[in-house]
Amino acid sequence: MTAATVALARRALRNSFRRPQFLAPLVLFPTMFLAVNVGGLERTTSLAGFPQVDGFLDFQLAAAITQSLLLGGVSAGIAAALDIEGGFFDRLAASPTPRLAIVLGRLLAASVIAALQVVYFLVLGAIFGASVKGGVLGVLCVLAIGVVAGTGFGALGVMIALRARSASTVQGIFPLVFVVLFVSTAFFPANLLSPPADVVAAYNPLSYIADGLRQPIAFGNALEPLLEALAAAAGVAIAATSLSVLALRGRLRQA
Amino acid sequence: MPAFNTFARLLLRLAPERSCACNIIGRIAAIEVIGLQREFKGGVKAVDGIDLEVASGEVFGFLGPNGAGKTTTVRMLVTLLRPTGGHAHVAGFDVADEPAQVRRRIGVALQDAALDPLMTGSELIELQATLHGIAPHTFRTRGAELIERVGLSQAADRRVGTYSGGMRRRLDLAMALIHAPEVLFLDEPTTGLDPTSRLTLWDEVRRLRDEGTTVFLTTQYLEEADQLADRLGIIAAGRIVAGGTPAALKSEIGTPHLDLVLTDRSDLRRAREVVAGFGDQRPATDGCHLSIGLAHGAADIAPILRALDDAGFAVAELELKQPTLDDVFLAKTGEHLEGAAEAEPEPELV
Amino acid sequence: MKRGRPSLRQDVRTIGALMRRGLNEILRVPGGAIPGVLAPTIFMLGLSAAFGEAARLPGFDADDFRTFIVPVGMLQGAGFTGAATGVNLARDIERGWFDRLLLAPAGRPVLLAGVVGSACLRCLLPASFLLIVAFALGVSWPGVGALVLAGLLIMSLAAAAACYATVLALRFRTQQAAPLMQVGAFASILFTTAYVPRELLSDWLRAIADVNPVTHVLEGVRQGFVGDVSWASTWPALLAVAGLVTVFGTLAVRGMRRQGV
Repeated sequence: MTAATVALARRALRNSFRRPQFLAPLVLFPTMFLAVNVGGLERTTSLAGFPQVDGFLDFQLAAAITQSLLLGGVSAGIAAALDIEGGFFDRLAASPTPRLAIVLGRLLAASVIAALQVVYFLVLGAIFGASVKGGVLGVLCVLAIGVVAGTGFGALGVMIALRARSASTVQGIFPLVFVVLFVSTAFFPANLLSPPADVVAAYNPLSYIADGLRQPIAFGNALEPLLEALAAAAGVAIAATSLSVLALRGRLRQA
Repeated sequence: MPAFNTFARLLLRLAPERSCACNIIGRIAAIEVIGLQREFKGGVKAVDGIDLEVASGEVFGFLGPNGAGKTTTVRMLVTLLRPTGGHAHVAGFDVADEPAQVRRRIGVALQDAALDPLMTGSELIELQATLHGIAPHTFRTRGAELIERVGLSQAADRRVGTYSGGMRRRLDLAMALIHAPEVLFLDEPTTGLDPTSRLTLWDEVRRLRDEGTTVFLTTQYLEEADQLADRLGIIAAGRIVAGGTPAALKSEIGTPHLDLVLTDRSDLRRAREVVAGFGDQRPATDGCHLSIGLAHGAADIAPILRALDDAGFAVAELELKQPTLDDVFLAKTGEHLEGAAEAEPEPELV
Repeated sequence: MKRGRPSLRQDVRTIGALMRRGLNEILRVPGGAIPGVLAPTIFMLGLSAAFGEAARLPGFDADDFRTFIVPVGMLQGAGFTGAATGVNLARDIERGWFDRLLLAPAGRPVLLAGVVGSACLRCLLPASFLLIVAFALGVSWPGVGALVLAGLLIMSLAAAAACYATVLALRFRTQQAAPLMQVGAFASILFTTAYVPRELLSDWLRAIADVNPVTHVLEGVRQGFVGDVSWASTWPALLAVAGLVTVFGTLAVRGMRRQGV
């Protein structure tokens, strides 16, 4: 099982890096958004109620990371859907490969890409003047939350792919990624969100994930937001992985 | 013929809309190719200097295995690919210098019947007619006739995404004919079709020939070339290796051959020595053990069998085979047509 | 059958037929319209929910953030439609359908006009949906004149975006170039006065916005929503789209002429 999972993960990673045109949007779009948000809305840090930060970039980095991880999930889903459309999935199903490895391999690859995405944005932030107030421990916390969250989003993407079976359907959820992100505290503090976004954000796991990513970067390490973020990320990961496995079983039963 | 063709082309330039002038003259080559070449990146010569001439109103078969250069040749002749050497005239116009004139006079059904799955058959015919500048009142009548002719009347208002492979090919053919082209290019039109659909398409090609349309047909199927083509060009590795009518090509190769299957194949070397004096031995195929050319036809069969019997060999099966186009290909290239397949290079720009 | 050069009437019919085909993607694919039509509205709603309080910044010259960014959504619809046109063309190239167009007697510019024309029409769909939602949420009516001007500007921007995406489609000949097409449209619209007035932008973004022609297009569309339509804000917008259409249109025509022989 482990060997098969690692082998499939390596294949997924190899395919991803051989097609940079699929990887680039994961960081390109969030980077552009980050640049525009910071360049356009820098002065909002002076609004009454905005938490004390060194700069808007410190605040926005978490949003960019969260957005990038969500797009990574979409990308994992598209890759899985292409495998299904192209017949590779059927080839795996007809082989002795452990069924669970088909999903876990994809998720392992998603977690590796998630780590790289987090590192990219931390380095980008450092280049443009942001720093991680929580130091090395803070960086590790951000990485941990990012990897768990990225794995969970990847599992969501795989689940959708297994149900939809078409890459274009998975691609169609791309706008929805932004819907969910906008109604969270990823981009702006909770007390400054307009209704009904402020209400939805209180229940949106992305809020806890984004706040947890933000805490070590903008404010320094604090246990509560970090634990909440890990719990939210783990919750998404566990739920999504379970749903993926169920979807996989359903797909195999139909074959 | 070259001087006459030049004169006829001059007439066409003076009155390009009067393409009927060509028909009245009647003897201009529909397709004339001299030294045509196409080189791709890496120096790969997919077409390496071919010459051919297709008379007006004939069905010309272009036969060769996958990767021989058939599709590349077609793409050059229909102005989708620029030749890197040589010249070609189609319907009296140079493909490189006057591509627009060529496009107005040709119909094309390429190897992939690229059809929009979201549109119905009728809509595609209408679109094709519009692209060729046919007025609405004309194309409605003609479109209905063509749809009827290719047997798609019941399916015309269904989306093409629901069509079978055979239906798609027939629609593709109808679209290629909507503007009554002088020259029709069919690039492997029956590849992937079931036998019934293939025969239907063959009948249509014969009908087109009877109506006076020049047809340039590429195929990898021997029987198709044999059945349909008035004349053939056989291409291998980018070069024409043989040309002429199917009958002439086969008789040029000459003799029939005898394929034998022995009950005991343990001493084939000795068996070959026994029959060595009766005729040329060929590479054995199709599960036979010996394949011998018969210089005197069927009269050679009995002596061969007697010689084998005297040497202690028992014959389990025998088959007398007349020369085929595969034999022609074998004689010219040293390979069987069906065994000489390789992928045609992707048409990258040089 | 006449074999002459197509007449102007025939060219117009060809353009119309290709535009009709371009609409099939929306009309005949279940759910096919949804991402493209909904996305700008989602952005508008999401951005105003997230950043609505930015309207409290001194110097923000609009009643509210949502009104300020409605024009951004309209331009996004135009940009995404243009990018989608390029993606569809790339798909047609991959599937061999584009060869069929190249085999037609119609000139290459005519074929391009048909492809681009469909983008001009299609961009009105996301814009209309956006405006209906915006007005329902209380964004004030800018006036018929302002809307007509906005429509003209976004249709022209869609044409420019479609030409840009066409250049990429002809160059790369694969749908995998889609992100490049989308990023171009995305960036050109966001690196403007998208979120806040020029004076409130940070220095580097203001410098980019000042040289980005799409800024003028955005301001031309926005003027009726935040104030009155004036010639002073209109002529730069018209000049900008004319320039964009000319530049990308020329590149696209050149790209088309290089196809086949």
